[in-house]
Amino acid sequence: MRLPAPSRSRAVEADDRFIVELERFQGPLDLLLHLIRSQDIDIFDIPIAEITEQFVRLIEGVEERLSLEEAGEFLEMAATLVRIKAQMLLPRRDDLLEDEDPRSELVRRLLEYEFFREMAYTLADAEADRARHRNKGYIEPRRPPDVSELPLELSLDDFLAVAVSLPAPPVRTPHRAPVRPVTVDEKVDLWLRALKEKARVPFEWFMRRWRTRIHAVMSFLAALELAKRGSIRLRQERHFGTLWVYRGEGDEDS
Amino acid sequence: MKATRIVEAVLFASETPLAPAEIARASGDLSAKEVEQAIAELCQEYEEEDRAFQIYPLGDGYQILSRPEYAPYLERFDSVTRTNKLSRAALETLAIIAYRQPVSRLDIEDLRGVNAAGVLRNLQERGLIEVVDRAEGLGRPLLYGTTGRFLDHFGLRSLEDLPRPEELQIALRSGE
Repeated sequence: MRLPAPSRSRAVEADDRFIVELERFQGPLDLLLHLIRSQDIDIFDIPIAEITEQFVRLIEGVEERLSLEEAGEFLEMAATLVRIKAQMLLPRRDDLLEDEDPRSELVRRLLEYEFFREMAYTLADAEADRARHRNKGYIEPRRPPDVSELPLELSLDDFLAVAVSLPAPPVRTPHRAPVRPVTVDEKVDLWLRALKEKARVPFEWFMRRWRTRIHAVMSFLAALELAKRGSIRLRQERHFGTLWVYRGEGDEDS
Repeated sequence: MKATRIVEAVLFASETPLAPAEIARASGDLSAKEVEQAIAELCQEYEEEDRAFQIYPLGDGYQILSRPEYAPYLERFDSVTRTNKLSRAALETLAIIAYRQPVSRLDIEDLRGVNAAGVLRNLQERGLIEVVDRAEGLGRPLLYGTTGRFLDHFGLRSLEDLPRPEELQIALRSGE
């Protein structure tokens, strides 16, 4: 991946009429540079009066179009240009050195900015080139289809017809769902009935099957009760292995 | 096991660039230098066999990436990384930091003539720049520099890969 040679064409856009969108520019230096480069003006001999006039005209109403801070940046540059213009009008003394041209500081800033502006284009090219080299994992794993995105196989009319026919939703009042009462005795019967058909059943078989906690608790208590009575025997072959429930000797029902 | 193949396996399994020293961890009798040698061999091999991928140097490390001519085919698939193009403001700011680091926010704002706070925060969040130091003097402002991810993002091996100012030859282009 070698960096390509910088292209100059993009920095200078040839348009002789300055109908520009301020938002397109990266601030006042960018705009100023655009004015200079697009008119083929010698940057070391900027016609300040002309450029100032163009610049001020372009940023007219800037405070309505940009944020206060961004507008301030353009206005500050306008003020700088006006100040340089005024300095240029002052009679020049012969003993002044050439680098004391009132424009020199602005020119230095413009050239410096232009270098980085150009570099940004070089970086953009490098970025695009890098983006064409894809790493492993670039293609995302296939996702399971999202149910909510599946098309509804129903026309709007069908839907509305059903919606209209429905009674108004009842006013919601909080209510307590009745818990079906269950007793230890009922669970005892269940255990014994199961053991009548089978010699042994896994303990969790009865614990897993209940949707509500109360059933599981009662099942558990029933098993304890039966074990105490000697109606069932419990066996486990190893730690955390399956706990088996067997018919016990003391089971009076068998 | 042949060193070349070990290095190939490590590079194949990685989704980010790996430095030779990191790759060398794969085997007790592999040195960073041998890794470099193996990479050179692999590069040549892939070139000769016209493979769809190649090993590219990125920052301090190496990574297997698909060759650019296959990008159009890969782009037909869903991917997360499609939208990571940087804005012009971000690119200009990065250019300044790359050349002037360590550099303060004020210096950057001076060079671009616009506020840089938002752009800097964004670049920091993306891991392309980091605070590398504090300047002496009033308020001891933070100084920014580019990161390894910056090099990766632009496919650079080091900052030396950036064109030197005199190569650009823009400064005096219309002044002569």
